[in-house]
This record gives sequence, structure tokens and C-alpha cells, in this order.
Amino acid sequence: MPSTKSRTYEAVYIFDSALEDPQIAEKLDRHHGLLSASGDISLEHWGRRQLAYPIKKRENGYYVIAQFTLDDVSVLPEFERALKLDEGVLRYLISLHERELGAPPMTEEELAARKKDDDEDEDEE
Amino acid sequence: MRRPKKTDPFAEARIRFVDYKDDRLLSRFITETGKVLPGRLTGATARHQRQLAKAIKKARYLALIPYTKGSQS
Repeated sequence: MPSTKSRTYEAVYIFDSALEDPQIAEKLDRHHGLLSASGDISLEHWGRRQLAYPIKKRENGYYVIAQFTLDDVSVLPEFERALKLDEGVLRYLISLHERELGAPPMTEEELAARKKDDDEDEDEE
Repeated sequence: MRRPKKTDPFAEARIRFVDYKDDRLLSRFITETGKVLPGRLTGATARHQRQLAKAIKKARYLALIPYTKGSQS
């Protein structure tokens, strides 16, 4: 894959839930500053939730999902290094956005339907 | 005797790509001990079953679903 092609990624970070919200926002800004992403970085805060198993003795983590597009992917190793060294990040996963893995783009309809499902699903099964 | 064909649960739910962040969905496709259910039991198409397996592995890494559960050591 030529490095000139811009690619869309999705990253999930699990922060130490002991961090204050402003600290998390500051870390996100600092790390994302390394990316020089083209266009906006879309962020989704899941917030604190229980981990399925303890990581670094923590039972809870603060989840954030980010999506961004890079024109120059050579910044990724430096970005990963920063995340790895950050003690406040319990775990992270950077992967290609599902579109890049062969998922067809979602139509407006599907997005709406999905939103609706999420609202209704709460108590089934 | 052929057993009746199961319908693909992902196609039924109009899911086109299995999302590793949807732990509620994924938890329906793991056994009580946390293993991936085989395709013959999920009824998923081969393509969706592959996506499912990868999604489960990512979700495990992110502590959304457990690697193992049930047997407490």
C-alpha cells in the first residue's frame, strides 16, 4: 500500500478511570496533536465502564473512540509510542476503519435505523 | 437427513460489517465459557463468521468481553 494514500482509522483508548475528565481531554488533545490529521477527529466518549477482566489491577476504564483520516501515515509509530508511554492509558487499539476493511458505506437510512435499534434494545433478551 | 438451513443472524439484523465495539451483539455468539460459537451453530455466512471471529478477538483485547469466564480458578 503506497504511503501517499490517505487512510481512515479508528482508535479506542481505555483511560484509567481515576483520571479527571479534563485530564483525559487534555491527554486526547496532546496525543491527537501528533497526528496532524486531515479533517476533524470525531470523538465518542463512552465514559466509565467495567472492564471484562482487570487490566493493571483496574476494574474500570474510561473508553473513548476516535476516528480520523491521515494523509501521511508515517506519524503513526510516534503516536503509538506516545500512547504506550502514557501511564494513564490502560490500553489502546488502533485499527483501520471498517470501511477500509471492506464494509460498505452506511446509508442515511441505516444510520437512522441503527440509532433507533440502540434506543430500543435496552431490555430485550 | 439434512438439517434445515439456519438464517444468517447478521443479515437478518441488517448488519453489513460486524462491529467489535458492540459487546451486546458479540456476547450472543460466545459460549458460557467465552469461546467463539462455531459457524454451524451461529448460522452466519462464512464471510460474517470470519468478521465475527475477528471482532470477538478485538473486543476481548479491549476488555469488552472476557477471554474466559465461568471456571473460577
